Amino acid sequence: MKIAVLIKTALDTGQLRVRDTVVVEETPLKISDIDRNAVEEAVKLKGKDKAYGVTVLKWGPLQKKVQEAENVLREALAMGLDEAYLVADEKLLNASHIATAKAIAAVVKKVGADLVLAGEATVDNYTGQIPARVAAELGWPVITYARELKVEGGRVVARRDLEDHVEVVEAPLPAVVSVTREINQPRIPTLLAIRAAMKKPINRLTLADLGISVEPKISAAYKPLVIQRKKIVIKDGTPEEKAEKLIQYLRQEGVI
Amino acid sequence: MKTLVVFPNKELLYAASTLGGEVAALVFSQKEAEAVSGKAHKILVAEVDPRLPDAAAEAVAKAAAGYDLVLMPSTKNAKTVGGLAAQKLGVELLVDVLSMRAEGGVLTAERYVFGNKAVATVQVSLPAVVTVAPGRFQGEPPAVQSAVEKLALAPTSRLKIVAVEEKSRGAVRLEEAEIIVSVGRGFKKKEDLQMAFELAKVLGGQVGCSRPIAADLKWLPEEHWVGLSGKKVKPKLYLAIGISGQPQHIAGILDSRIIAAINNDPSAPIFQNADYGVVEDLYKIVPILINKISKLKGG
Ligand SMILES: Cc1cc2nc3c(=O)[nH]c(=O)nc-3n(C[C@H](O)[C@H](O)[C@H](O)COP(=O)(O)OP(=O)(O)OC[C@H]3O[C@@H](n4cnc5c(N)ncnc54)[C@H](O)[C@@H]3O)c2cc1C
Ligand SMILES: Nc1ncnc2c1ncn2[C@@H]1O[C@H](COP(=O)(O)O)[C@@H](O)[C@H]1O
Repeated sequence: MKIAVLIKTALDTGQLRVRDTVVVEETPLKISDIDRNAVEEAVKLKGKDKAYGVTVLKWGPLQKKVQEAENVLREALAMGLDEAYLVADEKLLNASHIATAKAIAAVVKKVGADLVLAGEATVDNYTGQIPARVAAELGWPVITYARELKVEGGRVVARRDLEDHVEVVEAPLPAVVSVTREINQPRIPTLLAIRAAMKKPINRLTLADLGISVEPKISAAYKPLVIQRKKIVIKDGTPEEKAEKLIQYLRQEGVI
Repeated sequence: MKTLVVFPNKELLYAASTLGGEVAALVFSQKEAEAVSGKAHKILVAEVDPRLPDAAAEAVAKAAAGYDLVLMPSTKNAKTVGGLAAQKLGVELLVDVLSMRAEGGVLTAERYVFGNKAVATVQVSLPAVVTVAPGRFQGEPPAVQSAVEKLALAPTSRLKIVAVEEKSRGAVRLEEAEIIVSVGRGFKKKEDLQMAFELAKVLGGQVGCSRPIAADLKWLPEEHWVGLSGKKVKPKLYLAIGISGQPQHIAGILDSRIIAAINNDPSAPIFQNADYGVVEDLYKIVPILINKISKLKGG
């Protein structure tokens, strides 16, 4: 089964560069965590066919981030993907989600796939909308938040993990499925696999290559959240004394 | 301003009313229509199964014609419906919105981004779809006259729901809890969580947990799970015990009034995110706290 895996080269939220605002340009990229689970699932399901990664670069500056994105994609290739497509175009930086989905769908149409796998949400934006948008663009059914997945007889059956219940849902292929972190344990690539990944192709595409044009950009300002906590730490004394001290503080605050 | 509320509840209808203008509600059964009667100017009834995101999105896309804004709750299914409908309509979708304002055809909204380490102020042109973060719009929607209309639709779904399994749901409602005693991997065995339940009981609170406790160890059902991918809570007291305080956990407790933490590692990041921290072995201090607080409460 031919599989396309959607991989967000996301801002590494553990290494945000912050001044008055978040300096996106200086913040490094990493693979959006849950996309590792999507890659793992693809490697398990692909059988003798190919699985490829698709990334639409959203963060600039273009040249610098293309380099980082390629390194991120090498990781996914080392996990077992056969090939990767990196859509890098000035017009897609900070572009609307409509544009991202169009670009992803264009790659999937160009390369072909029986199944598109994605993460449930990205670490930098956490919106969970791209899988549904890509499905709408392709005209395929979508199953989101899958924590278990089976493909049998041209159909995909998934356990959809919703807030209060789990739904067992079925859809015909081709389809788009987004997965949760619980679906599997992503493999850690061996040194050998990492070396082999250096030889796998990363195809770079522009909007012109895909023959599409896109909507305007999103205008956004990112202000770091300053957590103003009192940070009073009780270190000294016996456990008894510390407990007494904590209770005193909490009573002063009127919370107990 | 014309706003369409999908999967309407009190919070969403109130949020819509703060924008001014006409408020319509899209519901998926006659029973739901009755429930919102008198709270929206227009009630559109689409007789489709809202659990099927493609069918629901078709209804939303059709109903949205002529509206400036579509408002939805921030549930997983609604986000899926929102993504499908927004792409069909060629409009932006903002999820988990904390605040919003519409002016001159532009929606300005705030939401947490980057693992809840930053607030984004986003501007998109209307029409747009928005899902609202829970607990942000508290008020009564004004009473109005409702006109009920059927939405003519022949929805098609390629999905089939084969089975629905209820998750075990106890009396836990963390989103509404005033006091939360939350447990992390500092607890060595499942049985030891009993201490936290006892402490929560004497405090009159509920028990929350970090992701590994629910997702990996499965010591507690997922309804206890707090954080970026779990529940977002806003108690007056959040007491984190044996939780290291990774950003994805902190993301769920930002709106707590007071955060207190117990951890035996003085360099645990939780202390940077807490008002009051105690460096101590939880096994030593929690029993003392139970004892002292129950005495305090006259128990
Ligand atoms: C995309 C994504 C989403 C995530 N979503 C969430 C989420 O929603 N919620 C969440 O919680 N996590 C989430 N995580 C996981 C998160 O990164 C951390 O792994 C997790 O929060 C750690 O849980 P913990 O603090 O219980 O465990 P640990 O990090 O192992 O911390 C245990 C702590 O207990 C302390 N301790 C040990 N023994 C004792 C003792 N005897 N007395 C006192 N203290 C003791 C230790 O010093 C340590 O600080 C997410 C991760 C990703 C990548
Ligand atoms: N720019 C992108 N390029 C490739 N895949 C993406 C991109 N953005 C989102 N995705 C995929 O869609 C999932 C959900 O993303 P989001 O809707 O942004 O939360 C991610 O886990 C990825 O699998």
